[in-house]
Amino acid sequence: MKLPTLLLTATLCLCSCGKETKKTTQSTIELKTGSGIEVVYVPAGTFMMGKENGDDDESPAHKVSLAGFIMDKFEVTHEMFIEAELPNPSHWQDDPKKPVEQIRWQEARAYCNERSIMEGLDPYYDETKSGFPIIETANGYRLPTEAEWEYTARSGKDSDYSFGSSRQLKLHSWFEGNSGKRTHRVGTKKPNNWGIHDLYGNVSEWCEDVYDPHFYKNSPELSPAGPETKSSDPKRVIRGGSWRASSAMCRVSFRRGERTGDTDACFFTDYCGFRCVRNISKEQLNELIK
Amino acid sequence: MNPAALIPSIVLTIIFYSSSNSFGTLKSKLEQNTHKIVHEAYHEGNWELFISNADGSKQRNLTNTPKINELYPQCSPDGSKICFLVDTGTGRNTIRSAWVMSRDGKDRVKISDHARQPCWAPDSKKIVWLPQEYKKWNVVDYYSNGLMFYDVSTKKSTPHPISDKIRHLYNPSFSSNGKWIAATVHAGMGFNHAILLIEANGSKIINLGISGCRPCLKPNGNQITWGSGDHTIEVADIDLDSNNPKVGKRRLMIRDKVNKIYHSEWSPEGKYITFSRGPNGKGDLSKPSTYQGACEMVGVFARGWNIFSVPTANGTEIDFETASPGKDYYQVSKNGLSYKEADWLHQTK
Repeated sequence: MKLPTLLLTATLCLCSCGKETKKTTQSTIELKTGSGIEVVYVPAGTFMMGKENGDDDESPAHKVSLAGFIMDKFEVTHEMFIEAELPNPSHWQDDPKKPVEQIRWQEARAYCNERSIMEGLDPYYDETKSGFPIIETANGYRLPTEAEWEYTARSGKDSDYSFGSSRQLKLHSWFEGNSGKRTHRVGTKKPNNWGIHDLYGNVSEWCEDVYDPHFYKNSPELSPAGPETKSSDPKRVIRGGSWRASSAMCRVSFRRGERTGDTDACFFTDYCGFRCVRNISKEQLNELIK
Repeated sequence: MNPAALIPSIVLTIIFYSSSNSFGTLKSKLEQNTHKIVHEAYHEGNWELFISNADGSKQRNLTNTPKINELYPQCSPDGSKICFLVDTGTGRNTIRSAWVMSRDGKDRVKISDHARQPCWAPDSKKIVWLPQEYKKWNVVDYYSNGLMFYDVSTKKSTPHPISDKIRHLYNPSFSSNGKWIAATVHAGMGFNHAILLIEANGSKIINLGISGCRPCLKPNGNQITWGSGDHTIEVADIDLDSNNPKVGKRRLMIRDKVNKIYHSEWSPEGKYITFSRGPNGKGDLSKPSTYQGACEMVGVFARGWNIFSVPTANGTEIDFETASPGKDYYQVSKNGLSYKEADWLHQTK
């Protein structure tokens, strides 16, 4: 196994606890999983989620604390679907290293289970029950929560874009300003501060959470996972810019709820993709580093 | 005789015939129709094929196999046989296979494991079937790779001339002249989503340019029906004898704003369109041998779905919001136990 690259990233993590701004040191670790997929260990931390004076659903900005987790370095690609022997639903199939799109929310979760099985992990979603409920004790892959996604995309910065302003967006993202109205090979734009690519564009990414524009008013501080719902098919959060998104939609705090497509025989939302995360203990992390 | 004296009796006659519940109604016409309807249903924890008269009467379980799941019946044009799908195993270990049997449910022969959605050639001697993309189970409807012909007499399958270029087809339907196979493609063959005509014995592929899915070609003429959306089914002309068929005049639009309507099929003489109708849903995994997905997909339990028929010659639009039951449409099945994928079984020729 390739030796992991240790990225010690000293960042100014803007944890606005009252009037204080706290400096913390974050350390991310680039790894390869058992199935050869590149991931990044994202350490535990606290950050300010959302944005005051942004869109209505982005406020209030609020403090969020998360445990460490592993996140895919790239969006899930066509070749990863082929490896998992799953039908690729994507509109653009001209390059196996392009991100999968036109993927329903539940199909993205099903891929997470496939990859867990391929790597000898316990599937995180219970496929024997309607709705594929979460098995909280499982160590397998899953979709990120909205908070995990934003924490990683911010990578220690509190600005709209972790790399600075929208003027640099074209260096970090495939969006409507440079995409030519289609997806592109993953990892062809600069990564964010934590070495993760395409969070700001190419395809938007499914999260686990139910979408509620008012959720930030009541969000818990510790590991928020979205609101409860009684609906059988609520809108789910989708995060990050895409090949068709404006620069404003690529902002790190921009939120959107999307129909899951789970009840549609034909799902044509060709900007919906995803990446996987999984929980990891220190022992498991050390094992993976070995 | 004064003609004016006839007017009251003429009016009364018109009123009698137009309001009669028994004479000339859709129900009475279907009662007189000698063809049968075969469809899948979820019955006592198991998928079975049921057969009934065209009006839904005398319904009975045709397969009656409590431990085997039969789905997606397709009846041979000569009315002698039925091909269908069988699901065995559960969850990730499910194997879907294609089979053929005689019209009475006997003499079952397996066509292939890991197979999807078969359909009949017009001579009733060959069956088109779609090999699965991978052997691993997946409920998705476009999970196919290639196109095969099964010869009923030799029990052998041979690939279509361009089978290696065909991917992600579903819901094939053979034209009555034997020239074309219509099917939907999703995310394959260079198409995002399209309804195609594929030359049955050649390499020509034509994108019909109509939105939607699940085409069905008229068994005795040049028309096509397909689902143009979750809530609409259409019928249009199509010149299948041409070397470059195009969809022509739209003849009928069936609409239901509330329920989904899917799986349109022609009656053998082309007088009726039969389809499945019911509320939206994504399955119910508490039902054994069912899967999660859009409820119109094969193997997904569809609560409240029933079979309906409409005449094709009564007008250009049937909207369930305003249509009259028994006149504009007829409900063939009643109990809503995931009644889907109906096909008409020709009275034996």
